[in-house]
Formats: sequence, C-alpha cells, structure tokens
Amino acid sequence: MAEPLLTVRDLSVRFPTTRGVVQAVNGVEFDLEEGQTIGIVGESGSGKSVTAKTLMNLLPRSAEIEGEVTFDGRDVREIAAKGEDHFWGVQMTMVFQDPMTSLNPVKRCGEQIAETLRYHLGHDKKKAISESIDLLERVGIPEPAKRERQYPHELSGGLRQRVVIAMALACQPRLLIADEPTTAVDVTVQKLLLDLLDDLRKERQMSMILITHDLGVARGRCDEVAVMYAGRIVERADSHTLFSDSRHPYTDALLRSIPRIEQPSHTRLDPIPGRPPELINPPVRCAYAPRCRFAQRNCLEEIPDVSGVVGMHSFACHYPANTERGEAALQSNLDRGETAGGLHLHAVAEGAS
Amino acid sequence: MAGSGLAPLRDRPDVLLRVEELVVEFPVGRKDVVHAVSGISFDVAEGETLGIVGESGCGKSTVARAIVRLNDVRGGKVMFEGKNLAVLEGEELRKSRPDLQMIFQDPISSLNPRRKVRDVISEGLKVWGSQMGAWSEGRIDELMHAVGVDPKFGDRRPHQFSGGQCQRIGIARALAMDPKVLICDEPVSALDVSVQAQVLNLLEDMKVRYGLTLLFISHDLAVVKNVSDRIIVMYLGKACEIGAADELYEHPRHPYTRALLASIPEPAPTVEVSEGDIEGELPSPINPPKGCRFNTRCPHADEICYEVEPQMEAAGDDHFVACHHPVAVSIDD
Repeated sequence: MAEPLLTVRDLSVRFPTTRGVVQAVNGVEFDLEEGQTIGIVGESGSGKSVTAKTLMNLLPRSAEIEGEVTFDGRDVREIAAKGEDHFWGVQMTMVFQDPMTSLNPVKRCGEQIAETLRYHLGHDKKKAISESIDLLERVGIPEPAKRERQYPHELSGGLRQRVVIAMALACQPRLLIADEPTTAVDVTVQKLLLDLLDDLRKERQMSMILITHDLGVARGRCDEVAVMYAGRIVERADSHTLFSDSRHPYTDALLRSIPRIEQPSHTRLDPIPGRPPELINPPVRCAYAPRCRFAQRNCLEEIPDVSGVVGMHSFACHYPANTERGEAALQSNLDRGETAGGLHLHAVAEGAS
Repeated sequence: MAGSGLAPLRDRPDVLLRVEELVVEFPVGRKDVVHAVSGISFDVAEGETLGIVGESGCGKSTVARAIVRLNDVRGGKVMFEGKNLAVLEGEELRKSRPDLQMIFQDPISSLNPRRKVRDVISEGLKVWGSQMGAWSEGRIDELMHAVGVDPKFGDRRPHQFSGGQCQRIGIARALAMDPKVLICDEPVSALDVSVQAQVLNLLEDMKVRYGLTLLFISHDLAVVKNVSDRIIVMYLGKACEIGAADELYEHPRHPYTRALLASIPEPAPTVEVSEGDIEGELPSPINPPKGCRFNTRCPHADEICYEVEPQMEAAGDDHFVACHHPVAVSIDD
C-alpha cells in the first residue's frame, strides 16, 4: 500500500482559559489514504471540529498544539510556520456547516469563487469568472451564468452550500474537510449534497474527512469512521464493522439511543444517562466511565490504551462491548445494580427484549 | 399536494382539538402575501400524539403557533372544547391559554437568562394563582423532580444548565399550567444525540403521568415516528398525507412522503432510494404553484396536477392522501 495522504499522530490541542486549560483534543491518531473518506462522529464538544481546524491551521494563536500531522510526506505544522499561503485552499480545503456565514454577503457568488482562483492560481479576472461559472455548473447549480451574478442571500440554503463546495473545489484539492456540511439543510437537499460530494470525490480521486453528528450519514458515506468522545478517538473501524460489531460502550450506547425508522412507533429509547464531561482539568480515568454501563474500578483509575488493533479496528476500552470480557463486566454491574462509577442500572432495560 | 378537504377529520367523541381549513398568511412588501398555511384540516384525539413533518418552510411551525394564537389566523377554525380559538379575543383568549402550552426548539433562548429557573417555572402559576389555587413551592419542586432537574438547583439561572436540562426546565414550565395539550416545536433538534433520547423518553413519561395530548413537530422522520400515533406530512402550506404512524411509514402513498423517506441517510426499507432524487427546491410560498403544490418537483406530475388541486381521500384504514396519482401499495405477503 502506498503512503497515506494524511497521517495524524498523537495530536493534542489545549486552550488556556480563565477557568483553566481546556483539553479539547487528546492523542488523536488516524491515517487517510488517497481517495478515501473518513468520518468523524461525536457530540458537540467532543473535539471533532477542533481536529478539523487544527488540520486547516485555523486555530487561534492561543491554542497549544502538540503532535504530528503529515500531508503527502510533508509536516503540516512546518508548512504553517513557513507561511505557505498556497497550501490551504489548494491542497487542503474546507466546507463549513453554515453556508450563510461562510460566504461574504456583499460579494457576488461568482466573484467569491473567482477570488480563490485569482489568488491561488493567478488567473486573470475574465478567466477566473468563466471558470467559476464552469464550477457552478459542475456542482449542479441551474443557470450558472445567472447565479454567478447573484448575491448569497438570493440563493436558497442548498444552493449556497453548493457555492461553498464549488469554492472549496476550485483549486482541485487533494483533501476536502467537510465540517457538518448538511446540518443546516433539509433531508432531501442533504441527500443531493452528499451525492454530489461522493461523485466529485470519485471523479477527482480526492480524499475527504466528513465530520458529522449524524450516525446515519457517517454509515452511508464513509469508508472508515472514527468516534470521538471528550477529545479522544474512542473507536475507529471501517464503517461496516463499526456499525455492526462495535466495541466501545459509547459507540454501542449511541447506536442504541437513536430512534430508528424501522422501529415501530413508541419504541422505548435507551438513552445514555448523564452528559458529556467537562474538558477543564479532566481526572485521570476513562472519560466515559461515569456514564458507562460496563464501568469497573480500573476504568475510574486509568485511561484505557488504544487496543484491539485487528485489521483496521481499534478502540480504547478496558471492557469492550460485544466481547466476553465486556459482557462479564456488564453482567456483574447488573447483578450489583450499579456500576463502579455509581451509575444505577435498571435490569428492566436488559430484560425487555 | 394540496390537501384541502375535510376527509381526514374523524367523527369521534374523544377528539380534543380539531383544526378545520386553517389559513395563515403574512403580508410582505406592499401587496404580496406569504401563503404559509393554506387550508389544513386535522384533529387530535385525547391522549394521542400527532406528529407534523416536512421540510423547513412548509408551515409546520406556523400551524403550531396559530393554534396557540402566536400568529394571527386568516381563516378556518381551531376548535377546542367547544370554542373556536381562532376568533377568541381578550379575556376569553387569555382564559384558554393554560390549556395549550408550548415548548420550543432552542431551549436556552426560550428561557429568560436573568431569572432563576424556579421563577421561570412558577411564573405562570403565580399569574394564574388565584384562579387555579394550586400555587405552592411544593408544586414547583414536584415539577422539577418530575422532569429530572434537582429542585435544589432552582436558584440557578438558565446559563448554568446544559441544553438538555434547559429543555427539561422548559417542559416543567409548560407542565406547571396543567395543560391539556402540549405543543412541541422541534423540541430535540438542538440537542445532542445522547441527550435527545432522554428528552424523548421524558416527553412520553410526562404524557402518561399528566394525561397530555401532544402535537409534535420535527423535520426528523425517525424522531417523529418514534413519538407519534398519527402523522401529518406537510408541504408548502398544505397537507400531503395523514395516517397512523406505522401505516404511513409502511405504505407511503404520496410521492413526497416517499421522497422524504428515501432521502434519509438510512432510507426506509419501504421505498426505493432513487425516489429521494426529487428535483429543485421548495417553491416560493408567495407564488405557490397552481393545482397541486408539489407539481414542480413531482416525478408523476401530469396535466391534471397543474390544473386541479387534489383533495384528501381515504387511502386505507385511517390513512388519507391528497394526490392525483398516489403510489400504489405494493402487495407483498
């Protein structure tokens, strides 16, 4: 196998604040091959957007970054230090969640795309505009010549997001980072946008990082999925394995807590108790332990290493779900009626099949 | 899609809320009008949960807001306990308020940031205290306990709570009035997935405990199915399809319902994924298409769809569809 396009090793990001140091990202590691899509799923505050912004060199100066990010054999932080303007925006680009705020409201759509082309590729104005019309057409915008002259507020949310995608693709990037690209749009539009991203990725052999809180999106659109919790990747696997044979109790609990379309109505949901931890001065323990049904004593005392690297499947848990060890831990907790973390368990949830 | 017609209204004694031909319009500019809701009819029986789904801009929130008179009603009736809420004024309108309470999408901005949550929850009771005679600290504690917020945090302000807890407080505030109908407008859309399930379960529990009737609005098809007994699918101010939740998802008849079900990331097994590729986007509600309002995006549209607005017709047991060319139910097993 060739060298991966992107490797992230032991990435940590901290933000000093008046209330203490926020440990936003903690030891994140992954590889991304050319032409592949990795999904990063997690709840708000899990560190998925901070990870993306670190890769894009968009964090404020106050952020303390450690670790190693390599893109096509080059150290990305060195590129940042050298101030190479034509790396981000050309090799690596990003699409943000809200298309209204990521477009300039007082500039015509075509002009905004042309700006990218002129700055990075040195096109003259005429060539840049004609190329941006081609790009608008490529991302499926009807009447591109007319849309080019319009301002963002004249377009619907779905079209705006297409303009943002066109802009991100203008310089033929090798890696596209899409941070919740469809959260602000309706399902019908979401499907069209995700189809578009899929097509473009295949056509250009582009790699993609798709950040989403929607497990369904990650499942359907990614080759590999990483689940983040409290700044760490707690489980990573190819998407089929992750959704059919998950190991981390958090992944397992997330999958069981979401309502599913194939369940009959009024199916009782199985929520995750409690809420995500504070990221300021976190105690040394598995961050999920207080909410975990599998938690034992050592979960509260040591942070589990990433283990179980079977093929592409890795996870960080002392008592992984769907294994003998994990089931034994869960059973002992059920027998006691509570976990080592003090979480009360109701046998009812188990008994009801 | 039109969905005019009174066919889906049921003639049952336990119907608590009955909306007939509801019309809501907003003037824009000098002479234009946004046709937000154009003649919707439905009813909700006591103890039932009615889900309303549709894309943004379809008018689902406007329906909810019109029922509690946060919007003015242009035409039609909202019958509740023998009174037409749409035309009530003054003291009579005020007296109807406690019976219909609402919870909103953004849990944090719907609570006054400068007040203690105990005061937020008890305000309605204090206002209505003399009429309801139920105001006491004990009642507030009971409510907070019921929704899962420790009463000892009652002196905190909304920003000291997480989004999920704020939504619980919003629910407690609504329940304080001992309402008959609880209208939930996208109550879990702003919440993280792990918290979403907690709030959905809480709503189900509260429904049983306080004998509520729910109107539940969401754009998330799986969420709506989970909480609802019946579901109404809206498009551009009209109803497309109304039916029992399981039946509607099992045998969707309207092309739009099918498109929605095919668009979700893990599509429903009852539809072809290709059906999700409906073209274009929602037309402007200022100039809605003539005939069936879905005709600009519908794969089955023909002449009649551009001329005549389809009426709601029975399509099965407690299942109504407004379409000239409803998709045939596949006959399996």
